[in-house]
Parts: sequence; C-alpha cells; structure tokens
Amino acid sequence: MAAQPQMLFEKDSVFIHINVNSHTSDKDAYIPGKVYLLHKEEGHFIEWKAEDVVSLDNHSDQDWAFIGSVGYKPDREAETGSTKIDLQKKYNISFDIFDLKSFKRSAPNHGWAYIIFILKDGTTYPALHFHTGGSKALLKELENFLHIKRSANDSRLFIIQDHDPDMLSKSFDELQLFSDSSGDLVSKFIKDPYTTTLGGFSKVTNFLRDVLMQPEVSVSRPREEVAELLQEDIPGMEISHQDEPGFEVVTKTRLPKRPDVSRATPLASEVWSKHMDTDGRIKDVDQIKEVIFRGGIDATIRIEVWKFLLGYYDWSSTYKSRTEERKRKVDDYFRMKLQWKTISLEQEKRFSLLRERKGLIEKDVTRTDRTHKFFEGEGNPNLQVLNDILMTYCMYNFDLGYVQGMSDLLSPILVVMENEVDAFWCFAGLMDRVYTNFEMDQKGMKLQLSQIHQLMQFVDTELCSYLESHESGNFYFCFRWLLILFKREFNFPDVQRLWEVLWTEKPCKNFHLLICLAILDSEKSTLIENKFGFTEILKHINDICFAINLDESLKKAEGIFEQLKQCKKTPSHVKEIIGLQVTPTRSIPKSSSMPNTFGREGSPRLDLPIHLRENNTSAPSSGSGTAVTTPEDSSIEILPENTEQSVTLVCN
Amino acid sequence: MRGDSGCDRVGVMGNLQFIGLLNWSSENGEDMSGKSKLLKVVLLGDGGVGKSSLMNRFVSGKFDVQSFHTIGVEFLNKDVSVDGDNYTMQIWDTAGQERFKSLRTPFYRGADCCLLTYAVDDIQSFKNLSMWKKEFLYFADIQDGMNFPFVILGNKCDVQNKVVNDSDIQEWCRLNGNAPLFLTSAKDATNVEKAFIAAVLRLKELEDFIETRQTNADTVDLKKKAKMTNNNSCCN
Ligand SMILES: Nc1nc2c(ncn2[C@@H]2O[C@H](COP(=O)(O)OP(=O)(O)OP(=O)(O)O)[C@@H](O)[C@H]2O)c(=O)[nH]1
Ligand SMILES: [Mg+2]
Repeated sequence: MAAQPQMLFEKDSVFIHINVNSHTSDKDAYIPGKVYLLHKEEGHFIEWKAEDVVSLDNHSDQDWAFIGSVGYKPDREAETGSTKIDLQKKYNISFDIFDLKSFKRSAPNHGWAYIIFILKDGTTYPALHFHTGGSKALLKELENFLHIKRSANDSRLFIIQDHDPDMLSKSFDELQLFSDSSGDLVSKFIKDPYTTTLGGFSKVTNFLRDVLMQPEVSVSRPREEVAELLQEDIPGMEISHQDEPGFEVVTKTRLPKRPDVSRATPLASEVWSKHMDTDGRIKDVDQIKEVIFRGGIDATIRIEVWKFLLGYYDWSSTYKSRTEERKRKVDDYFRMKLQWKTISLEQEKRFSLLRERKGLIEKDVTRTDRTHKFFEGEGNPNLQVLNDILMTYCMYNFDLGYVQGMSDLLSPILVVMENEVDAFWCFAGLMDRVYTNFEMDQKGMKLQLSQIHQLMQFVDTELCSYLESHESGNFYFCFRWLLILFKREFNFPDVQRLWEVLWTEKPCKNFHLLICLAILDSEKSTLIENKFGFTEILKHINDICFAINLDESLKKAEGIFEQLKQCKKTPSHVKEIIGLQVTPTRSIPKSSSMPNTFGREGSPRLDLPIHLRENNTSAPSSGSGTAVTTPEDSSIEILPENTEQSVTLVCN
Repeated sequence: MRGDSGCDRVGVMGNLQFIGLLNWSSENGEDMSGKSKLLKVVLLGDGGVGKSSLMNRFVSGKFDVQSFHTIGVEFLNKDVSVDGDNYTMQIWDTAGQERFKSLRTPFYRGADCCLLTYAVDDIQSFKNLSMWKKEFLYFADIQDGMNFPFVILGNKCDVQNKVVNDSDIQEWCRLNGNAPLFLTSAKDATNVEKAFIAAVLRLKELEDFIETRQTNADTVDLKKKAKMTNNNSCCN
C-alpha cells in the first residue's frame, strides 16, 4: 500500500468550462472542482477533480420543444445524478509536475484568472478557471519545485526551464549550418528571433535556442522520423522547400501593420425583415452578407437565413416561389428516402455497397455529438433523423456516398433546422461547398493543406520555417479543422456563428484558411518556445479544441486578409488562393511576380481536378513556391512605400 | 490499483508464457534512475471496432459512451514498466475508413508494434484483419513480417451477439505468426491492459531474439547512420 499523499496545496471553486466561447456566459457549462498539489510516492502531482454538484447544465434555452418532424425533450427525471458525475469525471486531471512544459495564464483584464497547463508531450489541458482566486498561490507553490520563466514574446506564456546536463555535450555536428554563420548574425537571431529575418536559417535559431536558452530533454527516438516520411508519403501532397544554395539571400517581406478590425452584433430580425420587399425578395444581398460576416445571425432567424446562405432558397425568390420550392423539396426528399427505405433485406444481402454505407452511418450516428442535449441519451429519436438524412444523402449523391465527417457537418444544421427535410437540403447545400474534402483521392484536403503552407510562407516566414524544420510543413495537424470546418474545435453556438460567417464568402475566398493562420498565430509562441516537434505540435493542436477564442480568431484572420490585400508584394499565387485580383501589369514588375507562375496548369505533381483548377490557375508546384525567399524572386530592388524589407546576405 | 493489473496474463492463446515476470505499473516517475524507452504502438482496425475506446481505457482507465469517431490521427502516451524496463508507449489511433488511407498510412513508419483490432460482433472487421496487416506491413516498410510484433484484439467481448467464432480467429492467428490474441472489452476493461502489455512483451521477446544475434545493442543508431550516408550519396 502506498503512503497517503501529502497535500501541499488545495483550492476549491476551480472550474472547467465546457463551453468556453459562448457569448452569453450564462449558457456556459461550468464544472466545479478542486485543484491540488500532492506529494505522492511517485512524485509531485497537480490534480483537478470534479466536485459533486447539483446541476451541470444551465442550458435553459435548450429545452427542445419542437415543431415539425424533429423534436426531443430529454427526460430530466431519467438523468440520474450519477451519470452527471461520471460525465464530469472524464475531465479529471492529474499529471506529474516534472512532465509540465509550460502554462498559459489569462490576460490580466480577464474577469478571473485561469491557467492552461501544457505538458512536454504536447498534451494541453482545458483551462482551469479560478473563480475565487488561488491561481497565484498555486503557481508560487510550483516555483518551489520548478524554475519558471516568462516568455519574451507572449506575456501570458510561461516556460518551465529544464536543466539537462546532456544538452551541452550535444555535438555541434548535428547542425552543419552552425559553422557557416557569423557570430554576429547568430547573436542577433537569439536576441530578437521574432523580427530578425529568417528563411532557411530557422535550424540555426532553433538549435541555438535549444542549447543556449531552453535545453531540451532528449528523447531516445528520433521523433522526426514519422513526419519526415509523412512529407514524402502523402501522395499528391506538395510541400515546397527551398533548396539551400551556396549563396543565399534571405529576405523577409514585412507586411503592412495588421489593422485592427472590429466585430459587430448579429443580424437582427428587424434588419432582416427590412431587407425584404413586399413579395419577400431580399434586397441588397451583399449588404446582408456584410452584416452576417461582421456579426453572424441572431439565433431566432438563423433557421430562415441559413436556407438562403446554403442555397435552399434563392435570394431573389418570393414568398410565393418559396412555398412552391419547399413543396417540391419535400416531395423530392421523400422520393429519395423511399428509394433506400424500400430495399428489402433480401435485396440488401446482394447490395454490399449500400449495406456497407448503412453500417458506417449507423456506427457514426451513435458517435455524433452525444453530449449535446439534442442528441443525448439512449434511444434519442433525433439519432434516427440524423441517420435517415445521411442515408438519403447517399441516394442523392451515390458517387460520393457516406464519408466520416459528414455526420459532424449535418449535426449543427439539424439542430438549427429542427426538421428533417430542411436539414437535408441545407446539408446538401453545405456539401456542395465542401464535397472535395470527402472525395476518394483526398485531393481537396491535400490542396488546402498545401495552400495553408503557401499562405504561411508569405505571412509568417518564421513560424513557417519553424514548422518546416520541425517536420510539420505538411500542416497535417490542420486536417480535422479543414475536413469538418472546425466543427470539433468550437462549441455549438460558435460553430454556428463561424459557419455562417464563412458562408458569406466574405471578405474573400478561402477565408477559412486565413482562420487557420490566425489560430496558429495565437499558438506560435507556445509551439516555438516549447520547442515542440512534430508529435507535440499535433497533440497540442488536437488538444486546444474548445480553447480557441472565435472572435479573436475571426478578427485576426480578417486582419491578415487586409494585410495581404494592402501589401504590394503579395505574390500572385497567394493572391489567387484568397481570390484577390491578380494584375500583373500594375506596380509589380515582372521580376517580382512568381517565376513560372503561369503555364503550370496541369502540373503532373499537383494534378488538380478541373473544378479546382479553374480557381487556381497557378497553384505553384513544389520547389518554386517560395516566392519570398528564393533569390531570383527576391525583390531587393523594389521597395514599395508601405513595404519594409530587410535583406540579409549570407555567404557559405 | 497496482494489484489488479496483475501477474496473471491470460491470452486466449499466444506464446507469452515463457516470458519473465510481468510486473508493471503505469505511474509516472516510478523509476527515476533510467530514462524510459519510447515505443511506438499503432492501433489498426475497421471503423467502430473500438480502437479509440481501447486506447482511452488503457491510458486513462475510462470508457466514454459519448465519444466521437476519430478524425485524422490522435495519440496518447502511457508510461509502463515491464520486467523492470521502463517504456513510454506512444499509442497512435487513426480513422478506420478506407477514404483516409493516404493520410493515415504515413504514420505507420517507425512503429515498434501493431495492435490489429476487430469487434467480435462485426464479422467484416474480422475479415478485414488480413487487409489491415498487409496495409501496415507495406506502409511501415517492414520486410520481415513474421518477426514483427503484432497483437490481435477481439474487442467488445462483453456483447451478447458474437458473430466471430473463436476457432476462426485462433486459426487466423496461427496462420499469422502465432500472434497473441486477446478478447477484450474497452467497456468493462477486460484484458485491455494485458493486451497492450502483451505488445511490449512480444516486442521484447522478438528483440531479445534479434539481439542475441548481434553484439552491438545500438542498432537504432547504426541504422540511422547508414540511412544518412545513403541520403548523401544519392542526393547530389
Ligand atoms: N459493448 C462495447 N462497446 C464498445 C466497446 N468498445 C467500444 N465500444 C463502442 O463501440 C463504438 C466504437 O468505438 P470507437 O472506440 O469509437 O471505435 P474506433 O475503432 O475508434 O472507430 P473509428 O474512430 O471510427 O475508427 C462506440 O460507440 C463505443 O462506445 C466494448 O468493449 N464493448
Ligand atoms: Mg476512433
């Protein structure tokens, strides 16, 4: 029997927020608990345990009393206290403090303090909210055991300093580049790694940071192995890496300052109705979309406006035509539903493809948003609706079939529409936008991953080089974000808001890629200063779901868009990704536009399907997509007014 | 807790009986003196057989009825001590659907062992075991498939309607290098720890076998150097 653990610190009223980003805080689900610092036989542990509570949910607005064919009001009596406690227990936290790598604290102006703990392997715990104080006391206690340092680049980030004696003996051979660089440059890199120009030299900086600043605990297995191979092995996935020529010009185009943008209130019911003429036609569609982009849609009219955004109704339709359209859609839906409903068991025996899909859908439906009120509980009838819509979609688009991830896309739509037929058609509209994510060859996914890379290469050379030199230049860790449009990263209200913003297609094409960049920008210090490698990055990114601030990310993403729009040096391949007009004759001399940009169509390496090619006539192929850093493209001689440029010449 | 992780390893069949005392613990920092060795474990099997549930049961001792199906790739680390050696098991869990094959297979490289999983109530998932094994060996680039540590997991053994015969799966294991088989339940924790630890034991067993043929234990380093020289010579 182990000895009783010794309690070094204890604090109650420490909460985990299941819904962190809700705009109205009363909708949040808070799990109260206690945080401990324990001295156990095995070491020192920080633990958080859920406390028994009266009620987990205050989703008073989510008492589902529904119209139409969908409706489910959970039987509150049936929800025993014990299942709630079980549910909360899954959030319990316990870790050895020597596994701690860093933590993030709340901004000082946040109502109360919270701490996000991040472990060496990238594990990132949900924020612990100290509603009645105590976070400082805990950290003070920790300082008795750990050497903690605040990050120079992110005042909220704190890094645990390791003292690993092995580090100093690490051979300098590991980094051939080291001897090539002048001492001056090196010290400059260390002093100001964030603003000094980088490029192919992130290896130097990373290595120096390893040695001089935050010694790393070496892992017995080269963790880059997987990633290295990942890069080679995802067929059709093109990641451009610059060659390292003997004489390298490292340039970094400074983008204009990122403008502050503001968000606004959601599209209100009155405004919406004002935009309808007497026949019900929507006036000033563009203006409506602008409002939606800026603030989303008020929950009360979402059910109606989404139908326009998702192509269920035409913007120019009238009340009358909409009634007819709906009738037609109802008939059409049930016609297709009958098609699979009337397949007998005998038939099914000889219809393996359908049987297979049916099985897949069944399995996934039981694993879709079961914590959400709308789908929770055994035998919840809404699961059947989810199932039937997906089956019917199989008949509607048999070539695509059912692919994992679709149930995630359907679920928020069904929750909003509360009606099987409407949800189906809206889902079909959404699928029209994102079906390439689900195609057999996964080209749509691969293309987007490489587009993120191209954008990042221009927008944030430093982070891009860091990721590249840490085997993450394939941006694989964004896979889930892209496949289901951040559905698993945010709670329902935020997912709904984010999606309606994206559906406006404002301010530009592929805005979701800029959101990826914005989120990564917020994690930049955490990734770089913790020196996370491939696996840690993957884990950290997987774990920050529900800890991303949507409004901040939207603002930042729009800011990045503005920067790209204003910057006169934005390369044409970057412009094309986000649909900015490329005007080769204006202000940008030939030498600074992408070499070989045109005529790459149908490049065998990026064999784009036709529909993608239309929009990406010049998707650059690997190797030459490094517009910012390749010498022939460097724009040393051109310095437009609002573009600062720093140039470093290094001879080998 | 430690008591019930027990010394009685009982596979349905398998050849673990000859391996030394199993005595492991999952606590961190159990042995402060030695660094633990990182073992990469890949969990494979059809969608819905319970890969993620098994991983979560093993790593955190929990079973979540409200879990999601996996999108992309996830992994969890778990420190174990087997026969006095410390290991960090890095368990990789991917989505089972065919569609995502090209984004899943790169993660097979460098795996130290592989857990092939089916569900006892899903005949197709049993039939697909051979496909999974083949996919793994191909993409993990393993030449000697016979001596690679596979462990077979028949999950959901708690359910009533079993459709996979014990004799069929035993026959399959026999034909596949006598891979150890465990009938597991992530739901009620049956044999889960045993199955994962069996993977380590299987690896140790095969490693010992190989090590006796080599004087230098530092095979990893040698391999790596060889690889680097290769790269240099062909990339000019
Ligand atoms: N009865 C029973 N159900 C289980 C068991 N293990 C998993 N399940 C259930 O089976 C379903 C699938 O489990 P997952 O762990 O999500 O399966 P997976 O193999 O990870 O599936 P993918 O992520 O789609 O590849 C879930 O609903 C689980 O609750 C088990 O041992 N017994
Ligand atoms: Mg899974």
